[in-house]
Amino acid sequence: MSEQVEMDELAYSSRMVGWAPLGKLLFVMAMLVVGLVVNSILIPIITFTIGICLMAYSTNLKVPLILSLAILEAIAIMILGSGMISIMGDHSATALWESKILWFDIYMTEVSFNKAWLIFFRAIAGVTLMLAFACSTPIPHLAHAFKTLHFPAEVTELIVLIYRYAFLLLEKFLTMLSAAQCRLGYNGSMTAIKSYAGAMAGTFIFSMELAEKSEAALACRNYEGYFPVYHTPSKMSVLWVVVSVGLAVGLYYLGTQTEGLINMAKLFAPLLGWDV
Amino acid sequence: MTNLFELEDVVFSHRKDLPPVLKNFSLTVEEGARTAVLGANGAGKTTLFYTLTGVNVPQSGQIIYKGTPLEYTKDGLRSLRSDVAVILQNPDEQIFCSLVEEDVAFGPLNLGLDREVVEQRVTKALRDVRMTGYERRPLQQLSGGQRKRVAIAGALAMDPKVMIMDEPTSGLDPQASMEVMELAEKLSLNGVTVLLSTHDIHLAYRWADVTNVLCEGRVEFKGDADEFYSDTETVYKCGLLTPSVFSMNRDVCAVKRIDPAPHPHNACEFLAKFGRNSKSGKLLLVPSEPEDAEGRFDTAVGDLKGTNKGVYGSDVRNALTDIDIEYRYDGMEGCFKDVVEGKDSILLYDPVYAPTMDRQIDRLKKFGFDIDCEVMR
Amino acid sequence: MSEPILEARNVVYSYSRKGPKALDNMNISITKGTKTAILGSNGAGKSTLFGVLNALYKPEKGEVRYNGTPLSYKHKSIVKMRSEVSILFQNPNDMMFRPYVGQDVAFGPENLRLPKDEVDKRVEEALLTVGMEEYIKSPIMKLSYGQRKRVSLAGVLAMKPSVLIMDEPTAGLDPQMASEVMEIAEQLHSRGVTVVMSSHDTDLVYSWADEIHVINRGTCVYSGIPEPFYEDRMLVQRSGLLLPSVYEMNRSLADMGSCDLEPYPRTQTQLSVKTSDSGGKAFGTLHVVTATADTDIASVIAEKNLGSMPSGAYGISAKMAIKKQGYEVDFLYNGPENCVMKCLAGIDSVIICDPDVIDLATSSVKFIGGNGYGDINVDII
Repeated sequence: MSEQVEMDELAYSSRMVGWAPLGKLLFVMAMLVVGLVVNSILIPIITFTIGICLMAYSTNLKVPLILSLAILEAIAIMILGSGMISIMGDHSATALWESKILWFDIYMTEVSFNKAWLIFFRAIAGVTLMLAFACSTPIPHLAHAFKTLHFPAEVTELIVLIYRYAFLLLEKFLTMLSAAQCRLGYNGSMTAIKSYAGAMAGTFIFSMELAEKSEAALACRNYEGYFPVYHTPSKMSVLWVVVSVGLAVGLYYLGTQTEGLINMAKLFAPLLGWDV
Repeated sequence: MTNLFELEDVVFSHRKDLPPVLKNFSLTVEEGARTAVLGANGAGKTTLFYTLTGVNVPQSGQIIYKGTPLEYTKDGLRSLRSDVAVILQNPDEQIFCSLVEEDVAFGPLNLGLDREVVEQRVTKALRDVRMTGYERRPLQQLSGGQRKRVAIAGALAMDPKVMIMDEPTSGLDPQASMEVMELAEKLSLNGVTVLLSTHDIHLAYRWADVTNVLCEGRVEFKGDADEFYSDTETVYKCGLLTPSVFSMNRDVCAVKRIDPAPHPHNACEFLAKFGRNSKSGKLLLVPSEPEDAEGRFDTAVGDLKGTNKGVYGSDVRNALTDIDIEYRYDGMEGCFKDVVEGKDSILLYDPVYAPTMDRQIDRLKKFGFDIDCEVMR
Repeated sequence: MSEPILEARNVVYSYSRKGPKALDNMNISITKGTKTAILGSNGAGKSTLFGVLNALYKPEKGEVRYNGTPLSYKHKSIVKMRSEVSILFQNPNDMMFRPYVGQDVAFGPENLRLPKDEVDKRVEEALLTVGMEEYIKSPIMKLSYGQRKRVSLAGVLAMKPSVLIMDEPTAGLDPQMASEVMEIAEQLHSRGVTVVMSSHDTDLVYSWADEIHVINRGTCVYSGIPEPFYEDRMLVQRSGLLLPSVYEMNRSLADMGSCDLEPYPRTQTQLSVKTSDSGGKAFGTLHVVTATADTDIASVIAEKNLGSMPSGAYGISAKMAIKKQGYEVDFLYNGPENCVMKCLAGIDSVIICDPDVIDLATSSVKFIGGNGYGDINVDII
């Protein structure tokens, strides 16, 4: 019994599971692209909000712990990344903050600060939009969508199978770690490392053996290379295309009009005592 | 009885450099017979099953199904697999989809059947294993026993003529095991040829018509189980032991200095042979459809409150959940034992099992015991 | 010796915060030095219980005691406990950590920080016990399921536990292998190890266990000797179990007047004894030949003129000796029981066994003699 939440389980209980997978994908990609293409920070803020709302709707605000942790981790990384960008400003411009920590030159300019914020919002917009998609689209639906797009069947099959078995293997790995504990495999750090290695090797071997047996079992059920989908998801309607493209174009124009409207540096200036 | 499968001198090894797992293997499987396949680990049972479903292609020898040799073409295999289904020991090795109904539909969809047909089959299969209501559950959430039942449903949905069950009761608790055996019995009665492989020799001894014993890639014995177990040396050589009822019969007869035959195959037959009672109690057989079960139960029990009651068959069992029944999971064994002891007993069952009752009554006659039974209308 | 060695007191445990309780007010006490069986339907909580008793899982409420002291979940005390309490998981593949047999069996002792020669000694002993000494350098991948099971058992034995917990030890094993595993468990027990096992094999458990504990929905609904539990048919049913066939048949025979209800036979041989009602007939003599791994069995047999008798073997060293010398016995499995039945039928027989299991080998004789069926003469060599 594993404590991990299965993404599929989440997806199947999502309120958006019935929406056309390709439609969702198109919409999400359109929002992502428009956020990347315009330089106005307003647009990624808007698409980020859209992403958050979709996620909230999809999961009905019941976000499992592990997913929240993953999101927080992603945000932390992005903060780090954006932070790095913000302090590597062009030395020809005036510095808002100039300093040196150890061997690191900190040179934060208005441009670099704004740029960092833009990138940050683009990044978290991307995360929330993709997650909204992933939380509401079970892998088999996605595979079916790929099939209609005439993706190479082998690739789709690979994705489905890897996904399917990843959880089984994880379960196996955790069981082996428990067994290692019982044989005192955690008695000391070197021992613990060796136990992990042993468990990984064991899981790998298990996966090989499982693969062989599953191949035979699949054949017995007359597997002909394609996983049939029992309840085919909705097909993408024209409405999806209209909404996605229309919204994207609209946001694009909004972006061109509002470039420079929100100057993060100016907003933070009073707080940080900068002269902008 | 016609031969469904005929294997002649089959030789099979997984790879050219490995020694053959099946060596000059010859076997016939009769249609409709309850066939047990026994043998030690590594004797070749699972390999045999995969060969019967066309997964393993033998290097030499013939496999004849329904009179024609197997064709390893796409159509040939599809046709074979719509007839022959396998349930493997470990459900995790044969479950491939995320949701229960998807996995059960996997086989039929792969056979190219229409969606409506598939839907009907899925619903029926899930009902047969008592997993109705679990259609949209993710498989990760299910326990081992439930996954096993889903695997069984997946095979049932193929509507096979031959059902191969590899260790169907392993990992199941005693009550769930009884239900699986009831299912196997129902399949048999519906004309499906059931091949059962198990390490539970007592189970196989009670159940099988024909016993095949594999040893190191060959068929060491085929035929009547009693004949096989009488040869202790061969039994040992094949990695097996004698079933407890068989050895008890043999030992008691040795002490009493009488002939072991006829051999009792289960507890009630043993008691019929050695018990000190020769007068049968009254057995009231009550075949019931689930809708009428409660009513018929009340009628049957009537004033006989002290009589033991038993149930055989999952439909009837489910219809009588709130009632206290002495032999809820071992209805046949319990009721027949009571009757052999001289007590009265009431047995309710799904109507499809009527021949099973007759079979047991006939077998008891061999031990000189005439069951006084009445079938309630 | 009825002190508890492992106890769970009012233990509550769930796998996930909002999930159902896997163990709910679980109270169980494993007596030291017994053969204990844990019974229950699938999902009742047996595996969870083992995890809790072995400190894999920490209970939300309640406590676990080892040797009377509550577990502090500090690293040192857990290590100490695990060096004395070992679990054998059901699936041997879950317990294999090193590619070669010898290496894997050494995993436990090495983790105990034992010196190298002690580790080697233990590995050799453990493999001998399970009959896999020839495979010490084999890669585990090449072994069959039954062989892997034996290797995983060796791995656990090499830690020389005082409590051995086995989760479904006979699952997936063919009858002979299952019988061997049970013989090893018996012999371990005779050396003082507390053996705890969970199994769905009702008859096996009934023939083997001194005490049973029945788990249902996370609580222990019965603890004690098997008979009172099985007398309550409805309780057995509610717990998801069935009655052992030997118990049922004994009851039926008693109801028919063929014999008395007590003494309760636990094994098929004991039931055969009661069924055959052999009072008055002449019994054969049971000759017991004690053997260690080096005993020259053939010459002992010849010397005492026992060659023509049916023979059985029991015990690890005895079987090793037989294997080494290629001596053929009639009953390699269930040796003592089969030999006793021969005696009952008036035929002399000989049982070759380890010195420390003579009592086990002759237990059925005691059953027969102690209950008025007549005495079989036992001649120990």
